[in-house]
Amino acid sequence: MFRLRLFSKGLIYLILIIYSILVFIPLSILALNSFKDLREIFQKPFSLPSYFRVENYIVAWKQANLTRAYLNSFSVSIVSVLGVLLISSMIAYILARYDFPFRRILYLYIISGLALPARLAIIPIYLLLRDAALLDTRMGLMLVYMATRIPFSVFILKHFMEAVPVEIEDSARIDGASPWKIYSLIMLPLSRSALVVVAIFVFVGIWNDFFFPLILIDSRSKETIPLAISVFFGEYGHQWDLLSTALWLAIFPVIIIFFIMSKQFIKGMTQGAIK
Amino acid sequence: MKKEFLSIFLFIIPGVLLYTIFVVYAFGFSLSLSFFSWSGVGPKIFVGLQNYQKALVGTYSTEFFGALSHNVYFFVLVTILELGLGFLLALALATQLRGYRVFQTIVFIPNVVSLVMVGFIWGMLLNPQMGLINQFLRSVGLGDFAKPWLGDHNIALTVIILVNVWRNAGFYILVLLAAILNIPPEFFEAAYIDGATNLKITWHIVLPLVKPTFQILTILLFIWSFNTFDLIYALEGVQAGPFRSTDVLGTLFYRTAFGGLGSSCMDMGLGATVVTFIFAIVFPVSILYVYLIERRS
Repeated sequence: MFRLRLFSKGLIYLILIIYSILVFIPLSILALNSFKDLREIFQKPFSLPSYFRVENYIVAWKQANLTRAYLNSFSVSIVSVLGVLLISSMIAYILARYDFPFRRILYLYIISGLALPARLAIIPIYLLLRDAALLDTRMGLMLVYMATRIPFSVFILKHFMEAVPVEIEDSARIDGASPWKIYSLIMLPLSRSALVVVAIFVFVGIWNDFFFPLILIDSRSKETIPLAISVFFGEYGHQWDLLSTALWLAIFPVIIIFFIMSKQFIKGMTQGAIK
Repeated sequence: MKKEFLSIFLFIIPGVLLYTIFVVYAFGFSLSLSFFSWSGVGPKIFVGLQNYQKALVGTYSTEFFGALSHNVYFFVLVTILELGLGFLLALALATQLRGYRVFQTIVFIPNVVSLVMVGFIWGMLLNPQMGLINQFLRSVGLGDFAKPWLGDHNIALTVIILVNVWRNAGFYILVLLAAILNIPPEFFEAAYIDGATNLKITWHIVLPLVKPTFQILTILLFIWSFNTFDLIYALEGVQAGPFRSTDVLGTLFYRTAFGGLGSSCMDMGLGATVVTFIFAIVFPVSILYVYLIERRS
């Protein structure tokens, strides 16, 4: 790797520190504002809060209905991720291990979905869900998320499974294990690391998604976090104390989890898009 | 053998069905809708190429080409800034000096925050009267530079692009960093023995070897740029103000198909036409993307 003289080392640290400050400023201002009242936000924008109004958190949490939004985001993301992991790994397993007519065509059929940005199909998706009485339901949202994440998940999992040595499965097959047993008891545990990459990539994408809930969800009781915050912003216009606190409550748990699991997150989110 | 086909069938059928209905069928249906005029309820009226005519030369064309040109501007600027900044910071991190892992984590933080929420954070910071940016400029005596950042039609789109860079740069930094760290260390050793400077090494070794990664990232940026929506929605609303100066195909589509505030007509057919155009622009590039990543694996 690069060898550096002392001077360039200093310069690089300087660049990295400046960049880090740029990352932190907006977030820390938001964090500070979340403790201030409206007047203080406008009059002393740069200072620490004179008094940490923890009560802001309670008010904003209630007003923005964050309990519900968190529950919705959690249930939708987790069910979608588990669902897509299951159905995609089943397809990936077949593609990696079985030889049958149209195998190549099936694979191309599925990964061609990587070339179709999901939101472009929103009108028919909207109509399909409407006709199935699944519009404005979490179930509808989950189905759409699962369906649109299949190509990516199959792609990653198939390539990973192909690289797993086949010997263990062979001996299980000789012992008379069924395909389902071999898949669930041998292949899935061996594919753990790829499953984690897919799970993180898909989870973060769904958790942060705004477009599909915006169009497919109507009632307040089913809003996911990005939609709930967006509606809250529409309702509370210039009440920046409430808005800052709600916004901060919506993002800081994510940042904390990211810090705890940053290695897996970074691996999942960068490899997911590139590999 | 027959039993084997049955298990193959049962393994693939749930995913294939779901994918076929919500992705393949939905796409086909969307393309076909572009030949109809339809508000979403009642009968569909077949109008042939009328929607396309409207978009390309008719009443709708000013808005359409305005939005399209903003997508192009978005793509060009975002690519230059995010890949440029990404490569510079990737180089800085690739020195692996002490603590680089901490910085690696820090640069990625904005990426885990939802784009709409990034939009709302910056919307407050950029507010002309109460926003911190203008307050800061005034307090250090640079009040002349204070601007209605999102309300000036000359700069609003560029400002939004910069917010996008703040959110996404970390991704490009880390992807490029991974590509640089993939280069065998012997290449560096050999170059140093030959007396090469870091600048020369960057230019003659690192850049050529990272080129495939740049290609894939540019392709992704292209696809994402023509699908951009969230930030503009959060910062300017579906009317993509001021005076449509931040309108992109995504917001134009939303207004057309689902009706934004103030636009009374809801035309799913015309909306599907906008989608077809986005599709026509993005699809060849997406195919290239699938080909490239499939070849890499």
